[in-house]
Amino acid sequence: MSETKYYQKKRLSLLGSALCAAFAGPVWAEGLPSMGEESSPWQVDVTYENHTAHREHAGLAKFRNTLQAEFDKKAGDGWTIHGITRGSWDGVYRMNSSEYGKDAGGAIASQSTVSGSLVTVPWGVGAPPAPPFNTALGGLAQFPATYPNNPNTGFRVLGDRWHDINGGVAFAVPVRPCDVDSRGCRDFGGYGDKTLSELEAPEFNDRLDFVRELYAKKTFDLGDGKGLFVKVGKQQVVWGRTDLFRVLDVINPVDYSRNNIYDELSDIRIPMWIAQAEYRMGASDTMQDRNFQIVWNFDKFRANNLGQCGTPNVILDAGCFFRGMANLWDNGGTVANFANVAPGTLLATNFGPGQIGLKDVNLPDWSLSNTQLGVKYEGVTMDGLSFSLNALTYRSQLPSLHGGKRATNSFTGVYQNAWPYLISFDMEFPRVNLLGGSMDFQVPAANAAVRVEAALTDGEEFSNTAREELYSKNNVFRAVVGVDRPTFVPFISETSATLISAQLFYQHIFDHEWRQGSLGPVGMPDWENSFIGTLLIKGFLRNGTLSPQVIMAHDFQARATAIAPQVEWNVTNDLKITVGANYKLAEGRDRWNFDDCRACNPFAPFTAPAAEQGNGTTENVPYSRGLAGMEPLGRFRAGPIGAAFKENDLFVKLNYKF
Amino acid sequence: MNKKLIALLPLLAAGMVGVSQAATEADVDNSFNPYKSGLPSFPGLTAGTIINKSNVEPFKDVLGAGVYKLIKEGLFEIKVGATTQFSISKAYVDATKANLNKTKLGAKAGDMITGYVAGRPFPEEPDAKDARAGEKLAWNYKYGVNWGDGAIISPFYWKYRNMQSGQVEKTLKWDFHFLNFMHRTKDAPVPEITPNPSGIFRAIYTKAHEPSDLKNTQLLIQRFEDDNKLDDAYLYLGFQRRVRRLAQGQATDAFLGSDLMIEDFEGYNGRVSDMKWTFKGTKNVLLPMWNHDELKLATDMPAEADGYKYVNFAGQGGCFHEGTWQLRKVYVLEAAPVNSNHPVSKRVFYMDVQLGNLNGANEIYDRKGELWKVFMVGKSQADHHLPVNKGAGIGIDDAFSMVDLQSKHCTTGQFKGQVDPKKNPPGLFQVQNLRGGD
Repeated sequence: MSETKYYQKKRLSLLGSALCAAFAGPVWAEGLPSMGEESSPWQVDVTYENHTAHREHAGLAKFRNTLQAEFDKKAGDGWTIHGITRGSWDGVYRMNSSEYGKDAGGAIASQSTVSGSLVTVPWGVGAPPAPPFNTALGGLAQFPATYPNNPNTGFRVLGDRWHDINGGVAFAVPVRPCDVDSRGCRDFGGYGDKTLSELEAPEFNDRLDFVRELYAKKTFDLGDGKGLFVKVGKQQVVWGRTDLFRVLDVINPVDYSRNNIYDELSDIRIPMWIAQAEYRMGASDTMQDRNFQIVWNFDKFRANNLGQCGTPNVILDAGCFFRGMANLWDNGGTVANFANVAPGTLLATNFGPGQIGLKDVNLPDWSLSNTQLGVKYEGVTMDGLSFSLNALTYRSQLPSLHGGKRATNSFTGVYQNAWPYLISFDMEFPRVNLLGGSMDFQVPAANAAVRVEAALTDGEEFSNTAREELYSKNNVFRAVVGVDRPTFVPFISETSATLISAQLFYQHIFDHEWRQGSLGPVGMPDWENSFIGTLLIKGFLRNGTLSPQVIMAHDFQARATAIAPQVEWNVTNDLKITVGANYKLAEGRDRWNFDDCRACNPFAPFTAPAAEQGNGTTENVPYSRGLAGMEPLGRFRAGPIGAAFKENDLFVKLNYKF
Repeated sequence: MNKKLIALLPLLAAGMVGVSQAATEADVDNSFNPYKSGLPSFPGLTAGTIINKSNVEPFKDVLGAGVYKLIKEGLFEIKVGATTQFSISKAYVDATKANLNKTKLGAKAGDMITGYVAGRPFPEEPDAKDARAGEKLAWNYKYGVNWGDGAIISPFYWKYRNMQSGQVEKTLKWDFHFLNFMHRTKDAPVPEITPNPSGIFRAIYTKAHEPSDLKNTQLLIQRFEDDNKLDDAYLYLGFQRRVRRLAQGQATDAFLGSDLMIEDFEGYNGRVSDMKWTFKGTKNVLLPMWNHDELKLATDMPAEADGYKYVNFAGQGGCFHEGTWQLRKVYVLEAAPVNSNHPVSKRVFYMDVQLGNLNGANEIYDRKGELWKVFMVGKSQADHHLPVNKGAGIGIDDAFSMVDLQSKHCTTGQFKGQVDPKKNPPGLFQVQNLRGGD
């Protein structure tokens, strides 16, 4: 407790310093030290943003106030320094504390399926199974009857933000900030263990995120039109040519907790300490431009921030799955519709600590071998084709759950280091190698510019219930084709063209595993081939001071659509107001259900499906039979649009430059 | 006799294609010094004359139709200055002489010229009977001195203004860079920056510094020697940190919400082949041309470390630069877009004969044929501008007004033009330079 207070104090003082510095603006600029000859004074721009969002069914979902200072200086000898400090404070945790703060969640109930009917049962109370099965299975073997250290408070049911339990797997997820409720709190890679003050002021952390960017750059003249461009420091390195999709743009991890996938990537990329050098060769006899770039990300590994459970933006609801699973490992808990004690009867089951769940999060430490290296050749042919060839070796910024790990058998009490098919996980961040390229060109006949980006990766890992480790490594091919076309749309504007920009994203997973099990499909929940289309229509009215736009995104496999209309009004040079909405639609949600490994039989023969119990053969073999539900793997089929389909927001943004 | 006639046939045939008469050195002299035999004059017009709504009618003949309309409607008034010499760099004039009559038009309008080396390709007086006289003037413009072999405007302030209320809606602070890759005459390397496999003739690179929503926005336009090749254009959006290739159509869209299209830059920023050019005659017209150091300059602009001050703006909504206008010999030139979907139906230029520039008092007509915008770029004599521009041999663009008569809106520009080759390394004009920004 005292430790929490100490950190809070430290963070508040950091916040105070940054805010003072930001407000000081010109005064600070004058006060900064001079840095030598041929230098210029510091140039500082300070901006303030308020982003307020209201979410259907949840109420206030964002009241974020951001102060950002951007400063530049010519430091002499050709070097320039650029920095951005950013501090934000989101009031939503205090203003809507019953949804996202210290009062969030509450007591929950679990569910059993009894002879095909869904029955609500108390969470955390167990008894040996007996008709009418109105309590969870517990109070026998290693199945607890109660959870004195895991009280039924501050919980939500996993996935309740986007689906009902409906006969599937469900368990309790603590949702309060980690200084209020530490259950299930882990550092999943920059999120998952945050306190209230860290959630409301996320930049003030031990990675000094309030220093958003700080780098020095210089071009060394090598003569003959050639140069060596060097840029060292905390920075974003942007590869590729497409919007929204990150096919090549994977050097910096992304903070989805800020506004899911709906903020500009430049605002949500997590800057890293990177050194890049670019040999700019200029033109040759056959190429108009040639450049060779080396990028060395020497920063300590950071994962994508997927959002801590209990906060407004938890992409794929993944942070809730992780926290709930971590709590299951630490404290145990009731899991809905689990024990198949009779045909058509799946009882809520009280698992004890150390039986199932998520134990270790193995974030890569800093070491030379854990740094990330990329090379890019970028050029323009003499015919005007602009292209790049890219290669990158990096650590996956998305976690992979390795299952079948150590646990105590819930029936026998035997501990083993590995239980094939058991939903006992560790979190890993595997190394990934990427080869890709991009290009753009004009299509004069269509008055359009076309952008293409593609990459092949090796080393990515996917959930796979056909494997005893419950994951597999698969090569992946991703590509995006984008078309930009300025078009005169008379009813929008007769003098300004409306920008129409369409993109189609394609992903193919090689060696995709999927087979029909006795109870349903088994294998990889991710689609073997998936397509997502986006369409941007943006108009410019009143000399560009008023800009209406609509962005639509449709996930063809998930059958989920996001529609985001907005109007941006530049009231003055320094004041901008944006009003918009973000609505999602989803059809055929049953197609998101997937094998949840309830029928994997890891503690054979006790966990064999009822129909196999006593058969002397398969009852002794762990493998998945394909019993399915929405959790936990439906999120991979629903995708970021489908998994957020109930998160419909209205928002207002105000930006002011001092 | 017959033999002599037969020997002349090829020459006659060549003349039929486009060159009615070979140009002489005297034509070159007249082209670059049209006031050798005297300055133009007009009854009642003297230095110091103020032309406004009340007295515009007698001067209608020496005003562009658009400028006349603006004055007639009482939107601004102009002060007349003395006609002065805007001498072109000796290197360019010499190149014109050295390559006299080498340039030939293509077989038909829109075809690439051949034989061009450097200088003004068609220095002879245009002939109204020559159906392709307008096209020759367009080539003269493409290969004109404009900003010389290279120059920068830094900074370059644009203001979006409501002409009725005078409200300044937006202020942009830019840097603009211009560089000729080919047909260079003055600054090393001459005549071409090599290697240049795509055959880039000229490039324009711009970078915005203000306002914050456009900060670090960069634009690169590469125009090719082959006039049939589409320009390549790239836009780096600071808020996206990504370079986007622009589709051709974006050159005719309101650029960043201003009253200018990319195609309007410098008067006309497109290919010769994009337009059908018609020479409409020669006359004397008032154009905004002055000596910067003799103007009453703005006091409401940011201070420059070297004390430079910008041209002041006044008139309705503050849309009009306050420089003096002088009587100039001009070629009236019309350009009608070849593409029927072009938002403009016609542009009318008053091409300053001496400079060969197009941007003094342009009229831009909408698709219905109604006057849409008037674009007036004021120039300073280079020797009366910044010290670095002394002897530059070009007219220094100093201020512009783009007035949209239909929406009662304008965009104004205040330049700090600098003819300084050191500030224009070729690497600045490569796409990769955009990616190396902040």
